Amino acid sequence: MGIVLRQEPELRKPDMIVGWPGIGNVGIITVETMRQALGAEELGEIEPWDFFYPNKVTIQAGIVTDMNFPGSKFYYKRMPKKDLLFFIGEEQPATRESAYAEGKRAYEMANLVLDVAQKFSCGRVFTSGAAIAITHHSAQPKVWAVANQKALLSELRSYDNTILMSEVEGKGNQGSITGLNGLLIGAAKRRGMEGICLMGEIPDYLSRMPFPYPKASKAVLGTLAKIMGVTIVHNPLEEMTVQMETVVENVYQQFPPEIRERLEQRKLVTQTKQEAITEEDEQWFKEHIDEFFNKDKGA
Amino acid sequence: MTEPLKFSAQPKLRKPTMVIGWESDTARLGERVTDYLINSLGAQPFCEIDPVEFFPLGGVTIENDIVQFPQSTFYASREHNLVIFRSAIPRYEWHEFLNLIVDVAEEYCHVKEMYAIGGMITAAAHTAPREAWATFSSPKIKKALSPFQLSREMNFETPPGSRPTLNSYLLWVAKNRDVSASNLWIPVPFYLMTSEDPAAHKKALEFLDKRMGLGLDYSAIDATIKQQNERLKRLRISSEEIDGCIRKLENNQRLSEEEREGLVKGIDEYLRKRNN
Repeated sequence: MGIVLRQEPELRKPDMIVGWPGIGNVGIITVETMRQALGAEELGEIEPWDFFYPNKVTIQAGIVTDMNFPGSKFYYKRMPKKDLLFFIGEEQPATRESAYAEGKRAYEMANLVLDVAQKFSCGRVFTSGAAIAITHHSAQPKVWAVANQKALLSELRSYDNTILMSEVEGKGNQGSITGLNGLLIGAAKRRGMEGICLMGEIPDYLSRMPFPYPKASKAVLGTLAKIMGVTIVHNPLEEMTVQMETVVENVYQQFPPEIRERLEQRKLVTQTKQEAITEEDEQWFKEHIDEFFNKDKGA
Repeated sequence: MTEPLKFSAQPKLRKPTMVIGWESDTARLGERVTDYLINSLGAQPFCEIDPVEFFPLGGVTIENDIVQFPQSTFYASREHNLVIFRSAIPRYEWHEFLNLIVDVAEEYCHVKEMYAIGGMITAAAHTAPREAWATFSSPKIKKALSPFQLSREMNFETPPGSRPTLNSYLLWVAKNRDVSASNLWIPVPFYLMTSEDPAAHKKALEFLDKRMGLGLDYSAIDATIKQQNERLKRLRISSEEIDGCIRKLENNQRLSEEEREGLVKGIDEYLRKRNN
């Protein structure tokens, strides 16, 4: 189990931005978009064998020639103000039947990522994911933020379009971040490194849907780009967001009228307390998700 | 962490061959083939892989009223210079688990070759003649197996959304450690996938027998094949629907999704019942 670095560039106190898949793939899409837009170069990777089952075998004329594993790669970019490190994991190393990382392997993965961060004298790590919110898909997603040190909270308050998790209606002072996006900044705290998680809002009724939600990624990217002082010129998320809005709207139109009516209220009432989907509605979503996509396929 | 390999004996073998089969695999092919070899050759256990790192041990499963516990055991037959590994399919730490198998093969037994047995689901009927396919760790073993009746030119890439089989993963691990290995793939009709396919078991055994000169006695497996064929024949007589589906497959015609599901369900239920 280890890290393979293909080059060792000299970086000036970089920040590290980390993304893994999760709900709506909000985090990984955000980080991958930023990495591509900035043209970050590949630095190395975490060897996959101890974390993942392979995802593809290639057999040519009877002989096994290749075995692919989910990638866990580091990238870097020298910037005028502050250099950047990126880490993008194609899968979370789940050891049980969960889609999210947990337990020994997840902690090992988090520590390997932080080993690289510290090797390059990185002082701060950012993770990114989805925040399941009582909102409507027509609304502009906000970005929820948490930090691993109290001293960072005033900085988080200054970010655009961002609210602290404790400021979210009904959250109080409690919350959790499932999987490595949370675990990494927890492990960073143990090492005395600053850690911030930025989460783009996804409506609760879309959180189980097996498609990306680029609107939330776009919101997180906007916040992250401002923090880093970078401008993303050609942002492919614009186009992706437009495309997915059509898909979301099609799915939404297949909801039973009474559920849709309740959700429509969220568009009208913006200042008073919003209501979460009922348990009954949630059950309905669970039972009908496949049907939406079967219909799509047929079309 | 405890030592994962638990040796109970050190059998003296001379560059043996290792055969690998997994429990509850497609049509129980690997399971039945390794069972047959162990029982008919009188192979004795000599090493186990400790389950703690590789299986969920939060309880046990029950099968036909019997408690099951994951076992991963190496057996040896000195007389036939053969090592057999029979195991439940690990749920975690696959890379480590597969490397332990190759550790035993390479470092303790100095094996000449490894063969993993697996089923390949086919749309052909059970009445069609059985083939055997093989994939290889190297051109050398592919060439060495050219005298045998194997289809050796498979081209394959795991389709999106699927994962490679554990046998393919093992073949890749063996290749990386320069251990000569081959996977034997026997086509199994899709409607026998969850039950058993003794004709496929025999096809795998025949190859191993020829390759290693084991001198196997097939009378027991022949009796099982005959019995299953008779049961399927009776079912075809009693159900026009099932007979029609199998007839279509025999004529290389495609079944609808509904027909496929009906055939799988009908045959599975019938074969599970005793005394018919």
